[in-house]
Amino acid sequence: MLGSQAKRVILVVFLKEILEFKDLHASIEGKEILKGVSLKVRKGELHSIMGPNGSGKSTLSSVLMGHPYYEVTSGDVLLDGESILEWSPDERARKGLFLAFQYPFEVPGVKFSTFLRNSYNSIHKKTNSLQDVAAFQKLLKEKMKDLSFDESFSSRYLNAGFSGGEKKRAEILQLMVLQPKFAVLDEIDSGLDIDAVKSVASAVQKAHKEGIGLLVITHYQRILHYLKPDFVHVMVDGKIVESGGKELALKLEEKGYAEYVKGVVLG
Amino acid sequence: MLFLVESVERIEDIPSIDLNKYDFKDAAKVKKIPKGLSIETVKLISKLKQEPEWMLEHRLKSFNEFLRRPMPVWGADLSGIDFQEMYYYITPEMAAENAKNWEDVPGEIKDTFEKLGIPEAERKYLAGSVAQYESTSVYANVKKIYDDLGVIFMDMDSALKKHPDLVKKYFMKCVPYTDNKFAALHGAVWSGGSFLYVPKGVKVDLPFQTYFRMNAANEGQFEHTLIVAEEGSEGHYVEGCFVKGTPVKTETSDKPIEEVTVGEKVLTHENRFKTVYHTQVRPYSGKLYSVTYYGDSKAEIKATEEHPFLVVKKERAEYKNTTWNPDWSPVNNIQKGDYLAMPIDREVMSSDVRVFNVNFGKSKGKFNSFTLALRTDKDFFRLLGYYLSEGTTIGGHYVSFTFNVKEKEYLEDVKFLLLKYFEKEPIQGKIRNNGISLTLCSTKAARFFNSEFNHHAHTKQLPLWVIHESPEKQAELIKGFWRGDGSYMYQQYSWGIKRMFRMNTVSSTLARQLRDVLLRLDVFAGINSQERANKHVMHTVYVGGSFLQKFANVVNAQPVNEFAVERQIALQKLSQASLAKSYAHITEKYAFVPVKTISFEEVVDLPVYNFSVDEDESYVAGGVAVHNCTAPKYTTNSLHSAIVEIFVHDNAKMRYTTVQNWSKNVYNLNTKRAIVDKNAKMEWVGGSLGSKLTMLYPMTILKGDNSSASHLNIAFGTSDTWKDGGAKVLHIGKNTTSKVIAKSISSGGGVSVYRGLLRINAGALNAKSHVQCDALILDKDSRSDTYPHNEIYEPTASFTHEASVGKISDEQLFYMMSRGLNEADARSMIVLGFLDDVMKEIPLEFSVELNRLIHLEMEKLGAVG
Repeated sequence: MLGSQAKRVILVVFLKEILEFKDLHASIEGKEILKGVSLKVRKGELHSIMGPNGSGKSTLSSVLMGHPYYEVTSGDVLLDGESILEWSPDERARKGLFLAFQYPFEVPGVKFSTFLRNSYNSIHKKTNSLQDVAAFQKLLKEKMKDLSFDESFSSRYLNAGFSGGEKKRAEILQLMVLQPKFAVLDEIDSGLDIDAVKSVASAVQKAHKEGIGLLVITHYQRILHYLKPDFVHVMVDGKIVESGGKELALKLEEKGYAEYVKGVVLG
Repeated sequence: MLFLVESVERIEDIPSIDLNKYDFKDAAKVKKIPKGLSIETVKLISKLKQEPEWMLEHRLKSFNEFLRRPMPVWGADLSGIDFQEMYYYITPEMAAENAKNWEDVPGEIKDTFEKLGIPEAERKYLAGSVAQYESTSVYANVKKIYDDLGVIFMDMDSALKKHPDLVKKYFMKCVPYTDNKFAALHGAVWSGGSFLYVPKGVKVDLPFQTYFRMNAANEGQFEHTLIVAEEGSEGHYVEGCFVKGTPVKTETSDKPIEEVTVGEKVLTHENRFKTVYHTQVRPYSGKLYSVTYYGDSKAEIKATEEHPFLVVKKERAEYKNTTWNPDWSPVNNIQKGDYLAMPIDREVMSSDVRVFNVNFGKSKGKFNSFTLALRTDKDFFRLLGYYLSEGTTIGGHYVSFTFNVKEKEYLEDVKFLLLKYFEKEPIQGKIRNNGISLTLCSTKAARFFNSEFNHHAHTKQLPLWVIHESPEKQAELIKGFWRGDGSYMYQQYSWGIKRMFRMNTVSSTLARQLRDVLLRLDVFAGINSQERANKHVMHTVYVGGSFLQKFANVVNAQPVNEFAVERQIALQKLSQASLAKSYAHITEKYAFVPVKTISFEEVVDLPVYNFSVDEDESYVAGGVAVHNCTAPKYTTNSLHSAIVEIFVHDNAKMRYTTVQNWSKNVYNLNTKRAIVDKNAKMEWVGGSLGSKLTMLYPMTILKGDNSSASHLNIAFGTSDTWKDGGAKVLHIGKNTTSKVIAKSISSGGGVSVYRGLLRINAGALNAKSHVQCDALILDKDSRSDTYPHNEIYEPTASFTHEASVGKISDEQLFYMMSRGLNEADARSMIVLGFLDDVMKEIPLEFSVELNRLIHLEMEKLGAVG
């Protein structure tokens, strides 16, 4: 009796943890990029969005995180049932969203660990007390070990002088430390050689195992060889045109996007 | 500088003096030098300072050069400077005149100064603030270390008298009066400044600090700093306190010291509120003193050992003092039983009618408000007293008062008052637990009490208009409060009878405000704070001893019922009793309370706080008056034209650090220069925050072979400031090296300019130089300009120049904010990152202050958009 109740509670809790795009339309400088995206990501799920260049994949991630240049013209994005559109980017982060950038910005002079500690403090409401700092350092050390970072990495300046692979892996490291509910990984595999792709993919797998809801945006399917997405979505011209399982990725690898692009006027 | 400023304001109405009528033989009797600049002014300064002939000649030559030269037009706009509107020298007699306000400067101290032969510059300080005198003794130990090493560190006036040959050898040999118009002006009217001489081979780790120098001499607007580092010597010269949480008295309440910001008003030892113009925090290692005093069981003041307090020394053990002349004393000189001074704010701003803006409810995100005109007469203040003790508001619509059934008289009084002021009759409740309540249904009244006094018992406090009402009306407030939450204690002990009036409140702020109000009524009240399990701390404001009768007069109640009769009888007994003396003493300006305990502990790198206050240079910390740390200050649009000359002889090493943060408008036009001999090294570290205009280009002349120079400068240009800074390096010797790093940040429409000159003379074989200018611009209204000027005449020399201009991009902010940082934090982090490579080089206290300023500035930016 009690057991089934508990189960139901758990189920309800789990169902509540959901990131939902509802017929989302967004534009930049008056030009509509997203033309009605609808998508649900539950906590613990791994989704992948694939699509040709210019289909609006990156816009989706920018809009999710509240980039000031994009305007949402209609539709909504809900986190656990609550609209996030009025929230500033830092508020979104504090509520459990994370975006791994395709091009992470360099902040010379600011140590990776200092930056991340400040983020962590803000998101998890910690302070710079000795206790909190020690706990953070322990966590960071642990995650760095998990992702095979050299210990000296944390005292390097944020993204400054990082190689392409290091930048991407550093984004995943931040993801692992900050422990959001949902994360969007924007072209996390672009510009990487095959070894780097493998290493990033294994990092993403670890995040997946920890129960973070993931949305992996990618142009190439090769990273999907190393990931096991629960759902694959095809995005073309600002819309999701097909959704399916892992097999969809394989199909795309074979046939490309031509089938979907046909109806679209190129240029 | 405190003194100079005061005199400038005071002298306005003094009729100008015809200098031609002056008999210079009587120069010593001259009391005032009028403002404006003339050859007579120059002569008079020299005469008053009893200078040698050569110095007068030097002044006159300089003055001619000043007249001859046009105003420089190559840099920032200097048209706001009017030389005839300035004062160039203040005589000690003038200082003494100003000291008249300073009633309590005892004559014998002045005599001591005379006997000690303290130079004029220092006597000026005496007149303005005795702290200088006391502080001198604090540094006696440091001075002894210097003396033993043969180091000379004193003010320039003294140096000119005691070491005339040394001064003559070096004075304005590095920066000649022909250098520029302001150097010429300086040569003509200079006064004050410091002289530092480090003898051959002596290495001094301890930085030579401004505050030390300041104690030796009053820093003028035209101070001259002369530093000589003899062969193989080393030194570090720095141009340049309370612990976090120390409550500071601001206009309405006590505030933790670390939250006090520039522009706020604080109570000073002169019993008035003055504006904070400079704040600082620095890490402190050494003895940290804790002082407690009788009269406030919770007050504990922690201060660094040199921090001056306003004190009356105890005259005789076991007896209370008979004279009360307070004097500044460093905390480590204070003993148990000495008296600390609590300034009494006696300002009165009385009004019988006041209009209040009262907020109620919110609609469309905005508060609605209404204006409420109330008669704020004597009776009204009694009602306030009742509210503060027994009143509360409920739900924003009701005001309720609860009295004991025996206090029917007070109940009727409240009814009468509510009807009188709010034109409504309160509803009287039934008797419950011996209490009767009155409830007034009035949104206006409820909102009024709520917004002016708060409604939670532990947050209740007095607004400024109540604090500054006339004592007569305030007496009514005390009466009302005492009737509500007061008592009279009469107890027979084996040692005698203890009598005491008491008022209770759980609001710490209100307790101290009641104490302050009583001080205005010439009644001293102590505060006893009692911790209680699971309840708010109870603060008891108590009056005893010789103040009993006065308090009794204030609260005198008519015997109407049985309950009041008891009190009345007690009061009558009181008037017959011979009363014990109180430990405290009240004068017009201060209440004096004896020190209960004083102890110290050793601390390491503890952040300590301090700030500078307009005119009075003091504030009230933990209830008692303390002095600023010493720092020069300048009035609006004043001119600061100092000269620093440094001679670094063979194999010697000197570092000169300047840090500034002025909130006032200052034309800061200084000339700083070093001549560096063989194998010697000169390092400049400069940081500039605030000030209207700064033009500062320290120069190094690398004269000797293998000599080197390093210039590091950080400028933070915020709104209404113009930072014009840079470095000049002249390579003459062989294998000389120089490195210049300039970092500038501009925000809020500020302008930062780098102006550099690098010259490598022919013959400076293999000279090497690297110049790096980095600018960070924080918004579109701000500017950063770089004007590097390089002249290389030696083919074997190598020179590199790097310049970068950075901006904070929206994308960068978006990236950082997406990681949970708010905008201000993200911006601050970018700025600190920009400065990271130079932060290590600057003094820690400066970097802490810089950090704080950056954050404040970034919050302003964030607020705009």
